[in-house]
Amino acid sequence: MMKNQDTMSSHKKILVVGGGIGGIRAAMDLAESGRDVVLIDKSISIGGLMTQLDRTFPTNNCDLCTISPRLSEGGRQERIELMTMTEVKTVSGEKGNFTVTLSQAPRYIDLDRCTACGDCYKAFPECVTFSPGLDHRAPTCMRYPQAIPQAYAIDMQKCQDVEALENICKAGAILPQQELKMTELDVGAVILCPGAAIFDPSGLDHFEYEKNPDVVTSLEYERILSASGPTQGELVRPSYGKNPEKIAWIQCVGSRGIQKGAASYCSSACCMFALKEAMVTKERFQDSIETTIFYMDIRTFGKEYEQYRERAENEFHVNLLRSRPHSIVGDAATGNLNITYTTDNDGLSKTEAFDMAVLSTGFCIPDDIKDMALNMGIELNAHNFAKTDVFSPVSTSIPGIYACGLFESPKDIPETMVQASAAACLAARETHPAVNTEEDTTKNLPERDVSNEDPKVGIFICDCGLNIGGVVDTQSLADFGKTLPQVAVSQVVGHGCSKVAMDIIKQTIIDQKLNRVVIGGCSPRTHETKFQDLLKKAGLNKYLVEIANIRDQNTWVHADAPQAALQKAQHLIRMAVTSVKCSHPLTDHSLPMNKDILVVGGGVTGMSSALSLADQGFKVFLVEKTAQLGGIAKNIQKTIEGQTVPPFIEALSKKIVQHSSIEVIFNAFIVDHTGMPGMFKTGLQIAPQMYYRQIDHGITILATGALQNRPNEYLLGEHPDVMTQLDMDGFLEKTPDRIKAMGTAAMIQCVGSRCPDNPDCSRVCCQSAVKNALRMLDINPDMRIFVLYRDMRTYGFLEDYYLEARKRGVIFVRYEKDNPPEVEAAEKGVTLSFVDPILGKRLSLSADCLCLSTGLVADDESTEDLAMIFRLQRTRQGFFLEDHVKLRPLDLSTPGFFVAGTAHSPKNIKESIADAQAVAGRAQALLAKNTIELGAAIARVDSNKCAACLICVRACPFDVPFINADGYSEIDPAKCHGCGVCAAECPAKAIQLMQFEDDQILAKLDGLLERMVA
Amino acid sequence: MITAERKPLEEIIASVKPFQRILLVGCNECVTVCAAGGRKEVGLLASALQMHFMTEGKTIDIKEITLERQCDPEYVEELNVHMDQADAVLSMACGCGVQEIARRYREKPVFPAVNTKFMGASERQGVWAERCQGCGDCLLGLTGGICPIARCSKRLLNGPCGGSTTGKCEISPEVDCVWQLIWDRLKALGMQDRYEDITPAKNWQTGRGGGPRKIIREDLAE
Amino acid sequence: MEQFEPVVVAFCCHYCAYTAADMAGSKRLAYPANVNIVRVPCSGKVDAIHLMKAFEKGADGVYVAGCLEGDCHFKNGNTQVARRVAYVKRLLDEIGIGGKRLEMFYMSAGMGERFARIATEMTEKIRDLGPNPVKSALNKKKGKAVA
Repeated sequence: MMKNQDTMSSHKKILVVGGGIGGIRAAMDLAESGRDVVLIDKSISIGGLMTQLDRTFPTNNCDLCTISPRLSEGGRQERIELMTMTEVKTVSGEKGNFTVTLSQAPRYIDLDRCTACGDCYKAFPECVTFSPGLDHRAPTCMRYPQAIPQAYAIDMQKCQDVEALENICKAGAILPQQELKMTELDVGAVILCPGAAIFDPSGLDHFEYEKNPDVVTSLEYERILSASGPTQGELVRPSYGKNPEKIAWIQCVGSRGIQKGAASYCSSACCMFALKEAMVTKERFQDSIETTIFYMDIRTFGKEYEQYRERAENEFHVNLLRSRPHSIVGDAATGNLNITYTTDNDGLSKTEAFDMAVLSTGFCIPDDIKDMALNMGIELNAHNFAKTDVFSPVSTSIPGIYACGLFESPKDIPETMVQASAAACLAARETHPAVNTEEDTTKNLPERDVSNEDPKVGIFICDCGLNIGGVVDTQSLADFGKTLPQVAVSQVVGHGCSKVAMDIIKQTIIDQKLNRVVIGGCSPRTHETKFQDLLKKAGLNKYLVEIANIRDQNTWVHADAPQAALQKAQHLIRMAVTSVKCSHPLTDHSLPMNKDILVVGGGVTGMSSALSLADQGFKVFLVEKTAQLGGIAKNIQKTIEGQTVPPFIEALSKKIVQHSSIEVIFNAFIVDHTGMPGMFKTGLQIAPQMYYRQIDHGITILATGALQNRPNEYLLGEHPDVMTQLDMDGFLEKTPDRIKAMGTAAMIQCVGSRCPDNPDCSRVCCQSAVKNALRMLDINPDMRIFVLYRDMRTYGFLEDYYLEARKRGVIFVRYEKDNPPEVEAAEKGVTLSFVDPILGKRLSLSADCLCLSTGLVADDESTEDLAMIFRLQRTRQGFFLEDHVKLRPLDLSTPGFFVAGTAHSPKNIKESIADAQAVAGRAQALLAKNTIELGAAIARVDSNKCAACLICVRACPFDVPFINADGYSEIDPAKCHGCGVCAAECPAKAIQLMQFEDDQILAKLDGLLERMVA
Repeated sequence: MITAERKPLEEIIASVKPFQRILLVGCNECVTVCAAGGRKEVGLLASALQMHFMTEGKTIDIKEITLERQCDPEYVEELNVHMDQADAVLSMACGCGVQEIARRYREKPVFPAVNTKFMGASERQGVWAERCQGCGDCLLGLTGGICPIARCSKRLLNGPCGGSTTGKCEISPEVDCVWQLIWDRLKALGMQDRYEDITPAKNWQTGRGGGPRKIIREDLAE
Repeated sequence: MEQFEPVVVAFCCHYCAYTAADMAGSKRLAYPANVNIVRVPCSGKVDAIHLMKAFEKGADGVYVAGCLEGDCHFKNGNTQVARRVAYVKRLLDEIGIGGKRLEMFYMSAGMGERFARIATEMTEKIRDLGPNPVKSALNKKKGKAVA
């Protein structure tokens, strides 16, 4: 299947530097695609910046539950070797063949032995860290329960009595002799996602950050909001401990070159961050709290982010005040923060008192990351971020070394996820996937059929050292277990999760022919998989085990009442026994995987993803509805960075057409679609003869692009001197003489965007305007250019070009949404009339040409058809709706379906290419396996009982059930998420959720309450 | 669909109080769909009754069973095996089902557990609204597919009364004036002229006015 | 007379409330041992019948704990079950058990403190309400003392 084997060094690992959300994504994608990964992080557990956020925009969810399986998968994945407290020292060699040296600081803890019991922390809090969680300053909800690895770390320098510390650990996990370890490693590729630091506002004395506790950074404010933060989720002023009534956010602290030491770029995420914090404040605390955001331009340019801003203003009444405050001065007498600022309309200086101020501090690259990069020899840009190219957005200057996430440029989480998958896709090309990517089942005994046996339960009680054993008498608990009906074995097994105990349990299951197992131990959240694997090894179906959580939810919380704890442990064991008796063997659903790929759309995105996958030997069908490749990018001559686009498209198209693994089908329309994940069939109708053809495929990539918006505004299409920015792009290239002859040009931003018809921001138009203005000046330096805008959204490094345009004399004039410019045709060119907000006067301007920044809109007609045929969701504006806006930005809700490029939302070429590579990365993770795994927790309908009432159809949060041709509800196991809402709502009791069937739940209640009512 | 809703528990309790062994019978048709008397409601009612009697220091035997359709004798026949062990039957079906059981088991007291309400449609999850009164002479063809008999408080046949204001009925601002709906729909269809046609006084003989009704399909009936 | 020790059943969703309970454990936040957790994948899985049966079988108090509003891993299971809880509360009032014995709570996975506080408050509240009338009536009849 794989080509180019000779150029790939097989079995080489891939090094991923940085265990934040991006690093985890990249490592997971690589591991799933059969590559071995070493994931290193310099802190003591992985998770990075995102784990410090209380909630994330635009959903305002904590997203813990979405990230947590990810993190624990990260810890579990057998192909990922996790090295914490580790930094990369040197890198030598070349693509496919690097040698890296890693230095791992001593943790002084044996990770294999540490059970995270916390005894050492209790006795020696001064030298033991469990980074997150127990440290009350640590911000979030999510750090502790999900911390990977789940173990402590020790600061030996602070330890007074090493021997006593060693003795306190019952597991013998403390290793005072551990030393700094240097490791040399051969790797095929390196992915850098070390993240970034947050700008330190200490030096800005006019904001009194250092002096006044009520001035905090946005990340600190996040911790105040957080339930497990220092105030346990109470919103109080750090100074007084009283509830604040007025809070101000100050944007662009450390960004856009505003303050001393600030970077010149825009940090991209802070506007949304501030809006989110203001909204959550209103929502969670009191609506009466006044929230004001002081901003320069509100940059809500992401997918549907503009609607988020609308909501903040209109529903949550967050005040948005366009102003750059002069200072924050604390008033010792009143305790207020006096913020002095000026606004456009009157130009007068005002002072307003607030209770708290939040500084929206931006991202910057800290010295240690810069040094690491320079040590490796990769080129950095002027701002010390990794230098990348428009056409290869995640490739550094050294082939084989990739950069993603914040280290590449300031960005938010979805874009980080995209780049991580893109980097994984490219890095995977340097190494060979392992031959067998399926689960290793050789250690398992063949599964014993227990369907005709009466339940024979074995109970195994962990003492977990003193964690359980120190509170309750585990032996008496085991004796109690023996008294329960149908229990054959009940014994204490020490540390149940240790290898020794696991062997004992396994052997007992086999020898005693047990067919149901109860573990009395810690949380099934962390250990269920481990014991399920054990059952498989012992020849039992893995769903025949039940874990009674007698540690986390019993001995740990009832240590003060051992008698009650013992009684409760008995209840929990009895509940587990009655329930496990009702369990029955289940099969994890899996479907065979067809490895061919259907890419819909032959633009830059479609071509790039097709090429990425075809280069790895996969067969790709590229379906294009027109007669040529290139899409909307054919109309673009230059990028803002100055690269010429046509040669790139030409070269790419040529590669596509000539590629032996790619079949391009022109003039084709998709007309039907059937099948299930892993094996789809899609029907095409191909012009001009309109003949029908069906394609079998396992992956579908939607890269159908977007359309240039051409609203009927400002004489567009009526006047020869009025054109869109995209028109101007070509005009500049083809008729420079006409530019030379111009005296004045005007541009109007947000035409057909951010308006009732199209409430979204088109993202690309501000950069297009700046790009075209600069190109005009290159041709005709004496030209006067006016840009009428609402908010300039030149995010990230694009800010540099905005700055340059201003320096070179382009005049930017703001207009209000309610008072847009007016345009009339003149004898020559057009006449514009608009209100200048600073002068407060209406001005009029004659321009030789008018460029309208109209942006992109969804190709509503084709996305509507495709959404119907493929049964996919769309946004209100007609873009495809991803499965999870934050963490799975390009995955669609049906496994095997992806969206990339402008079919997802407006974006530029660089972003589209990153998307294209990312979906290829996501796809290759699925393609590495011969089956798609769907788990067992799915809802099943008993057709005999179903009344076809539609209640499940309406109640399902994911629109999965439907009434089938036979007239009863059908739930596609491939699509069911396993929540059980349908089962709970069904009025005919015709639906059961596997693993959590009603009789199992009722049996638990029986087990708990059977002695209550005889 | 026939809609129903559970009676107040007090009333149900009073009806079954004298009995020790109760056969609680649901129906898997209309009352399941309108969440009034399907398998789930049967379970809930059984549990509620059981608990109530327990608080009075008494346990009763409740046998739960849900028939495919209580208004067909063949399905009701399935109760035979349980009837011996029952002192009374509590039916969660519509009035048709209750009566079918009463007809079949003449010696057993049967009590309804639901109030049968109307023939209606589900407006959305959990909301059902009246749509048809079974007048026996359908005139929906004249009224743009919207029934003035079921949905006009006064059952007017020729346009709204004087109580129609801003599209709402004088009975309640929650109730649409059905004649407004009819007019809007006719207008949308370009069939305003239909509104001009006078519908003569309705012959209620085809409805309940003619006494209990029966349908006989001669080709099917034996 | 001995203090009445109620039995409280907590249906906890896997992703938030159950994790919050584990979190309370990790932080060693003590709460009364009266609370017994039944894990469900989503609070939306909790059927009205489960709630009724818990009382029928003798629980003195029951609560459902799901994710914070808007945070449900399965989009809206928590709000769907909240409506069911309100319905069953009315039912319990009707039959004389008392709807106050049943509650719905929301918490995020990190809210170990909130979990412990709710467990404590709920136990205290049920203690004040006294034993489930179902249980006490039956036990009285059998001449047994209330456990």
